[in-house]
This record gives sequence, structure tokens and C-alpha cells, in this order.
Amino acid sequence: MISTGMYGIDDMLGGGIPKGSRVLYSLEPGVDGQLFMISTLYEALEKGKSCLVIIPHTTVDAFLSDIAQLRGKPLPSTEKKIVFLDSVDRERIQRRAGKGGAAEQDWKARIKKLCTDHNVEVIFGYFDMIYEDFGLEKGLSLLSRNCCPPESTIIIEHLNFEQDKLLDSFAVRKSFDLIIAIKSSFSPLPHFNYFTIVYTSWSTQLRRSVPFLVKNGRIVPYIPKIVVTGPPESGKSRFVANATELGMSVDRTGLGGDVTTVAMDFGWLHWQDFDITLYGTPGQPRFDPMLPVILHNAMGVVLLVDATNHEQLPRARHLFNTITKMHVPIVVAANKKDLPGLMSEEEIRNGIGITKDIPVFLISAQQKDDVRDVLESLVDSITRFIY
Amino acid sequence: MYSYKTGIPQIDQVTGGFDAGTNLLLLAPSLSYAEQFAYALTKPMPGEYTIMLSTNERASEVIDQFKTVGADKHFVGVIDAITKSSTPSVSDTERFMFVTNPTDLTGIGIKFSHMVEMIFDGTFSGGVSGLFPPPIRFCVNSVSTLLMYRKLEVLYQFLHVMTAKLKKIEGFGIYILNSEAFDERTISLIKQLMTIVIEIKVERSDNYFRIMGVRGINADWHKFTINKGQVVLAL
Repeated sequence: MISTGMYGIDDMLGGGIPKGSRVLYSLEPGVDGQLFMISTLYEALEKGKSCLVIIPHTTVDAFLSDIAQLRGKPLPSTEKKIVFLDSVDRERIQRRAGKGGAAEQDWKARIKKLCTDHNVEVIFGYFDMIYEDFGLEKGLSLLSRNCCPPESTIIIEHLNFEQDKLLDSFAVRKSFDLIIAIKSSFSPLPHFNYFTIVYTSWSTQLRRSVPFLVKNGRIVPYIPKIVVTGPPESGKSRFVANATELGMSVDRTGLGGDVTTVAMDFGWLHWQDFDITLYGTPGQPRFDPMLPVILHNAMGVVLLVDATNHEQLPRARHLFNTITKMHVPIVVAANKKDLPGLMSEEEIRNGIGITKDIPVFLISAQQKDDVRDVLESLVDSITRFIY
Repeated sequence: MYSYKTGIPQIDQVTGGFDAGTNLLLLAPSLSYAEQFAYALTKPMPGEYTIMLSTNERASEVIDQFKTVGADKHFVGVIDAITKSSTPSVSDTERFMFVTNPTDLTGIGIKFSHMVEMIFDGTFSGGVSGLFPPPIRFCVNSVSTLLMYRKLEVLYQFLHVMTAKLKKIEGFGIYILNSEAFDERTISLIKQLMTIVIEIKVERSDNYFRIMGVRGINADWHKFTINKGQVVLAL
């Protein structure tokens, strides 16, 4: 396997990219996705792989400067392990070839020679200019087994103006073993970048989309807002506190000594290479005017209910009806499984009106593992959501 | 909806300024006042921001030009597609961003998005504060140079994306194209992406412009000069 250099993505791919694969990073114009290819390049060099980098749009010096700036550090010092074909080579080829097929032959010959002379294992190609010079089929043929060694892995970045139409045709024709599309969206957040695993030849997993941030020269998958809601005393604050590395709650102690959340719970965690922020709502109906504000732009919701308290079910049903209108992934966590008087999953589903497609977990919010199971399920649903 | 003033009283009085989301093609022959005209249109008014994509001049020269037309340089960002080819190690700053050459449409698109994001989140140019939502003028100087490096079909797609983005952020786009260097098809294809076209011609050393696509303004030729960065109509 070859790592993408982004461990969250490696996990989703089942450990990375199988050797000998052909990979496409498709960039929507204007989306900050150059670090995907660069992360894979750094990782390959750090693992001692011999690499050929084809950069027809720029010079080697400018490329090295750009990627060092993007990544926040220069390329690993493995000079002997990396060779380039750059814009200077492109100009030479064009000058010598004039019009006709000579340029294509020259590119092929140069790629083959460099691969042979340097035992190249991974080829990184910026496809944009090659596509323009030779068209789709001939361009792709230059970055295929026709020119590259049979065991080599080929990674291609392309500025994709044709969007899904092109990617769908690649997927149907099986032109690539892995297609990752990097895009932006304005919903459900005001503006965010995300990547979608469009196709993998080695698994049948569904498309997955994950928002990401560029942080300290790295791609960080993130979920900016998961909301935990539920009736009073269902255990929301405990859930947020146990789910996150650093959580806090705005609570007030009542006359009877009971503590209730009067504003919200808040916490964040870095988990499985994801940055996740959790917001907990107050449970009392008198705080309902705050719910739309806290739920706004949420990418997923955990509905927490006390599995020992029948009287909470109408309130839980009300909240469930509110959040289903948001059309975001929902997970129901039935808390206090370790206490007597536990309702069955059936009773909870019927009492709240939960449909079969929404998972219900019987948990104890005191148990971190239970809490993480709920989050794992929700994150999984969020990554399968189509924006 | 925000209106972008042109600084040309005869236009501003009739239209009240160009609507947010307008994309304007400045079609002009060589050796005309096209560039100065573009700077006059692109200059940020108080509270506005400007982004210039320069394929002909270095960032420092662009800023000098803006200074001469009386713009506050702190509200001007430049995407420079010249400097990096001779100085590969040059680094981006908040206001100056660099791509290797005009072929790098990936880089241009990303730098533009970065600059817009910084303007929106208030971190542009050390956090200078203008209006919110920020009115942004964006000038491509020039489409002609981009066309020398990339095929028309590709550039059309790229400009399609950029003009759509300008609409989305309610900006004002100005695109300079040499009217003598390209064939009819090229010009008409680029025109399709625009809301307004300003055409410039030179006759016996005098410059004239006309506007097409603005309701209330006829397409008559107007003689003009440029004085201290202002377009002045000769009466």
C-alpha cells in the first residue's frame, strides 16, 4: 500500500492506495486542494519511494518553492529519489516537435527513459496542460501503463472544468482505480471545502464526502458542528464531556440542587484524523427558542434520550420531529442502559417515531467507548451524505 | 444591492453605478488608454477592496499604478503571474500572491479564493476594515495574455467560473481584452460571459469609448482623456 499522506483518508480507503493503482485528484477551480497531491508526494518520498514528477505548467524551482510554502517544510532530502519533467522540458519538446504526433512520442520516450533510469515507483502528473496539449485520450495514455512501468503507481491532479460529467465517465470506463474529487459547497455551511471519494476499484464502498481544512500544511478532515440534543436530564452534558478532549457546559444549579444546562455544552476532539466540534443544547422546553440557533449549520445530530424514563418520550418525539426537518444525518442514543427500568429499542423507536434507517444505540454516557461508538456511527453517516 | 461607482459622472448619474455581480469586458486596441481606463474602474472606493490579476506587470508596479490614481494600497491585493518566473522563491503575503506564469489557472483560482476569503473574514491586509459584506472589484489584466498561454476553450471555462464567482460574491469584474489581437469568434465567445462591454477606439490620437449593455445609456462614442486616474469626457 502507498499512503495518501492523509491518514483519515487512508483509513477510509482501507489502509491507503494499493501499489500499481492509477489515482485521480480532481480539483474544482478555485478550491484549495493542491495539498492532496503534495501530501501524497511527501509521504512517498519520506517512505523512500523513487518518484517522477511531471509539472508542465511550472519550473522545478518554482514548484519546489510553492510546495515548501504550502506544506510548511521543504521536500524530504532525497534528491536522488526524485526526477522532474517541467515546463522547460515541455517547451523543448514543443519546439522540436512542431505540429503532429512527434511531441507525444517525445513525451512518451522521456517518461519511459526517466522511469527506467531511476527505477521510478510513483509517478505524479499535473494533467491540466497535458490534457490541453494532447486531448483527453492521448493525454491519459501518456500517464498510463503505455509509458510507465507496470508496477508503478500513478497519481494525477487535474483542474476539472467538466466536473461530475468527466468523473462519472472515468468511473464507468474504469480509467482510474481511485477518484477523489475536491470541491466546495455553500450548504449546509456558509462555505466549506470537501472531498469525495467518488470511486475505488478495490472496494464497493459508497461515495463518501468529508469537509476538510488546510491546517499547518496538512489536510484535516473536519466536522465543524455536531449537535447533541434531547430532553432534560437525558445526559447531554455528560455525553459531550466524555466525547471531547476539552468540553465545557453553561449550567445553573436550581433551588433543589439539580444542575441544568441553561445555554449550551461545547467541546471539541481530534479523532481518527478528524477535527470535530460538538454543541449540546439545553433540554428544557423554555429554551426551545435557542434550538434553531444552535442547530443552524449542523452537519449531524445526536438525539439523546433517557432509556429508563417513559415520560421523556413525548419531548423526545418533539425534538426528533424538529431535527428530521433539517435533512442531516441523525443518530439516537438511548442513555442509562446500566440503570433499572430500561426500555427496549422497540419501545423507544415506537415512542419517538424513529424510522428504521436511523440507528438507535443503547449506551451509558458514563462509558467513553459507548459515546465513541455513537460518534463513529454519526461520522460515518456524515461522510456518506451527499452535499 | 450594492452599486459600484465608475467615477465617470455621466455613467454614475444615469445608472447610479453598476450593479453588484456585473462583469465588464473592456475591449480596446493596443496603444489606447485601456489600462488607465481599467485602473480608473478598478480603483477601490472608500470601504471597497480590489483584487488585480496581473499578467503584464509585477505586483509592485501594480501598486504604484494604483497609488497614482489615488487608491489606498491597503485595500488592494495583487495576484502576480510575472514575478515568480524570475524569482521562484518569492513568497505570498496577505496582499501579494504569486503564480509561476499565466498558464497556472489552478494557482490563479486558488489565490483568488484565498484573497476573497481573507477579505470576508477580516484578515486581509492586517485586518483593514471596509464595508461588510465587502464590495470587491476584480480586474484581469489581461485576458489577452491569458489567451496567449491557454487555449480559448479552456480559458472560456476558466472565465466562466470566475465570472460566476464574482456574481456569487456580488463583486464587480473588469476584464481587459485587446480588440485587434483576436478573431471575431474569440471576442464573441468572451463577450458571452459578460454583462457589459466597454469598447475603446483611437482616432487621430484621440480616445473614444462606448458602452453596450447598460439600460438608459446609448451606445454612442464618447471622446475621453485620463486625468489623475479619472476618466474625463471631452465636451
